[in-house]
Amino acid sequence: MAALTIENLKKSYGSVKVLKGIDLDIEDGGFLVLVGPSGCGKSTLLNTIAGLEEISGGDIKIGGVSVDGLHPSKRDIAMVFQSYALYPNMTVAKNISFGMEIRGLPKSEIMATINEVAALLQIEDLLGRKPSQLSGGQRQRVAMGRALVRDPQVFLFDEPLSNLDAKLRVDMRTEIKRLHQRLKTTIVYVTHDQIEALTLATKIAVLKDGCLQQAGTPDEIYNNPANMFVASFMGSPSMNLMRAKVSEEAGQFTIEITSGAATALTLPVNGIADLQAYVGKSVMFGIRPEALTDPDGSDKKHGAEIVTRAAVIEVVEPAGSDTFAVARLGGIEAVARLRADAEVEAGQTSSLAFNMTKAVFFDPETELRIR
Amino acid sequence: MSGVSQDNAVTGNRLTRALIYTVLIFFVIYYLLPLYVMVVNSLKPLDEIRGGNLMALPQNWSLQPWRDAWSAAQIGVEPTGLKPYFANSFKIVVPAVILSTIVGALNGYVLTKCRFRGANVVFALLLLSCFIPFQIVLIPAARILGLLGIAGTIKGLILIHFVYGIGFSTLFFRNYYAAFPTELIGAAQIDGATFFQIFTRILLPNSGPIIVVTVIWQFTNQWNDFLFGASFSGFDSTPMTVALNNLVNSSTGVKEYNVHFAGAILAALPTLFVYVVSGRYFVRGLMAGAVKG
Repeated sequence: MAALTIENLKKSYGSVKVLKGIDLDIEDGGFLVLVGPSGCGKSTLLNTIAGLEEISGGDIKIGGVSVDGLHPSKRDIAMVFQSYALYPNMTVAKNISFGMEIRGLPKSEIMATINEVAALLQIEDLLGRKPSQLSGGQRQRVAMGRALVRDPQVFLFDEPLSNLDAKLRVDMRTEIKRLHQRLKTTIVYVTHDQIEALTLATKIAVLKDGCLQQAGTPDEIYNNPANMFVASFMGSPSMNLMRAKVSEEAGQFTIEITSGAATALTLPVNGIADLQAYVGKSVMFGIRPEALTDPDGSDKKHGAEIVTRAAVIEVVEPAGSDTFAVARLGGIEAVARLRADAEVEAGQTSSLAFNMTKAVFFDPETELRIR
Repeated sequence: MSGVSQDNAVTGNRLTRALIYTVLIFFVIYYLLPLYVMVVNSLKPLDEIRGGNLMALPQNWSLQPWRDAWSAAQIGVEPTGLKPYFANSFKIVVPAVILSTIVGALNGYVLTKCRFRGANVVFALLLLSCFIPFQIVLIPAARILGLLGIAGTIKGLILIHFVYGIGFSTLFFRNYYAAFPTELIGAAQIDGATFFQIFTRILLPNSGPIIVVTVIWQFTNQWNDFLFGASFSGFDSTPMTVALNNLVNSSTGVKEYNVHFAGAILAALPTLFVYVVSGRYFVRGLMAGAVKG
């Protein structure tokens, strides 16, 4: 177990810069999730931590010691690959023991470790099988078993669940979380699935185009996004982002959402001091679907900040536990999350409650947060 | 209505089938005819061949031409039969095939999994060696064999075939390994396996189909080679193909066609054997490469 520190990490392939100076750290026993769209460099970052790819600049430290230039096997890490990368010519037992064999551990110790890990992952019955005879979930377990027997300082997971079907993915997600709580080993986990990121992480790092957008706890990332990219990437359905005009009257900021000929929608804003600079200009107003509810379902403890406005409901999408409604706010489309039994109908005008404590604002030019 | 159209479909089907089989059977006969002529005439006494009909079955079946071809026929100046030359060919081809396959596999591994600057250029150059006509390298090769002191020996021919085989075996293995998941190599590296451990324990055990393809390809090409054999072999390193030519072209005495037929079949037997035994792997291997690549 050890902390991991990444300092000004750069990686380029020829003239193509894949990682543009990443600074990131995770404490001992933490669960760091790297998340971002395809091609953002998250897998490359993981591979440089593993030592499978050389870095072009900066440094990586595991437990305070630089691992730059160190062979992957000497970094005291273990990795679970997206494709599982099980050796197809070896049985499950051999797959798990291969690394120990290479390191020349005694047979008795190897056997004991295999049995221990097999019991932990419930794959005892599979030890004699070849990978081709396993299902996706079983392969996933074997790949994790191979990583576990190393008892490393840091576990690296490269999109380990992306090849599983939806149900199995949820089960394995829980299992990985349970495993982490039990082993308390530092984990770095790459995914493009923001739900996985939010459920597993103690710290999330959002990447885009080789740049770190924001790093923080799941709560910070979700409720306190640093810029528009983070705000729209995390959360499902994603945050409603609307262009709005700021005005001020006697110290009270008001935003006005309007588009085309539609009636403008005005909302009061409190506690965002920097909006002063945007008076008379446009900002991007962001509100998550769950902060835009039917009045009965609104969060009552923020009483004064709950603002109710009428809006035309265009589409109603019942989703079992909730009902999603696509509404027109000052002519702009927005998704609201209503209680399952909320009485709304498509084409009618309904009241929607805005929880303005959850509202966020961004500069439309720089896309950075206005606080 | 549907019943009628079904009837039509069935009869139409039968007709097409009959047509297909007719064509197929015709071609089978067409391709097997030369083999038939060779086998039949190798089992006849010489005067029956002279008597006229090449297509006729033997009246007196005789294995004597085979015995002669194997151990008694006049090859060049010695009445040794093809036996010693058969052995020569094996001594040349087996080591050359093994060496060129191993080196090809190593090249494929390095070119795909240990990417280095200019890997593509190296591969392009190796690929080019597949297309260099044999005649161009004859004189330089003779010079090098002379310098190494192995001109006219079995070792010399092994070297020539080995080096010439590298191009193709590299091509085969490179394309096979290009489709081999790089994550497996990464996993083995993290497990602590060295360069050669990865090669022998991960790559080679998963290379069955392409090894078979390479071995068949190299074996048939090297076994059937005539030009290098004729150019670089000495008195006691002459391969089968050259000896067969000497047998057929010997200018003394009568032309023993039955012995020539038997000798030609003998010369072709090892490649035939390799095809029959591993032909299905050959097809499977080529397919595997095609689908994955």
